[in-house]
Amino acid sequence: MNVFIVLIPMLLMSAVFMEIRVIEMSAPSAEGPAGEVVAKPDLHLSLRVHADAYELTGEGLAPVFVARGAVERKGTLSPTTTARLQQVLGSVATAHPGEHEIRIVAEQGTRYQEIVTLMDLARSAGLSDAALVSAREDA
Amino acid sequence: MRGRRMRGARRRRWASRLHGPSGLSLTSLMDILTCLLFFVLKSFVAGGEATVPPPGLNLPASTAERQQTTSLVVAVQQDAIFVSGERVASLDEVLSGEGMVIAPLAQRAEAARDQMDALAKQRGRTPDASHLVTIQGDSDIEFRVLQKVMYTLDQSGFPDIALAVIKKA
Repeated sequence: MNVFIVLIPMLLMSAVFMEIRVIEMSAPSAEGPAGEVVAKPDLHLSLRVHADAYELTGEGLAPVFVARGAVERKGTLSPTTTARLQQVLGSVATAHPGEHEIRIVAEQGTRYQEIVTLMDLARSAGLSDAALVSAREDA
Repeated sequence: MRGRRMRGARRRRWASRLHGPSGLSLTSLMDILTCLLFFVLKSFVAGGEATVPPPGLNLPASTAERQQTTSLVVAVQQDAIFVSGERVASLDEVLSGEGMVIAPLAQRAEAARDQMDALAKQRGRTPDASHLVTIQGDSDIEFRVLQKVMYTLDQSGFPDIALAVIKKA
């Protein structure tokens, strides 16, 4: 009886915390023309992942660098980096209200969690159409 | 006289049963809780295979709000790739292979796409030009693996890709 009473709230609680959602997107570009699947945005906004910094570039925009900080093993960003990226992406999105596209240019070894976090930050700033591009091919 | 006494005793017994310390009936409570438990378990399963990530796979946390829909599920674990729960390639093979296409995954995805088209034809519908695939990737996998998987799926007729994530609390 007591087991049941404990089991039911436990199941209900795990149901709340394990909600699965999806991020819909198009496939990343590869060598050659396959990369043109993603429509090019007017601003060509790109968020590049470098070894020690993130670089936000775009047509007519001065490149903005944000220190990458210590990325933990699971690919989570530090609160300072998150806040700075939010601020930078937010100011670009405010300056270009019609812009919703951004390319996330990741390195080969970038962790999946870090990519998802960057996509989350871009989406929260209003840049909801994120495309993934490899740094090797973008160079 | 005797009958009246018996009636009185019966009435007292009845009264004590009504007003006495009556505990909750364990059997009926047990029944209710069992029903509830099955209901909760069933609601977990009802969402289809896409809702249950394979054991040992940690999905990345995200603030995404979009609900998932039924689709082909590709799970990318730290050591292997699974399509609908069936292992198709190890990650070592994927990383050592040249080119962007993962051959076993492409084969399996194409077979799944043909199956979907055949099913749509059977139901009297025209097969969709594009199909949706859900990638359940481990949060710790590297981008080069994800990129190869996404490129292969795109080339195999699944250009619409959904990345499964766990909603941040």
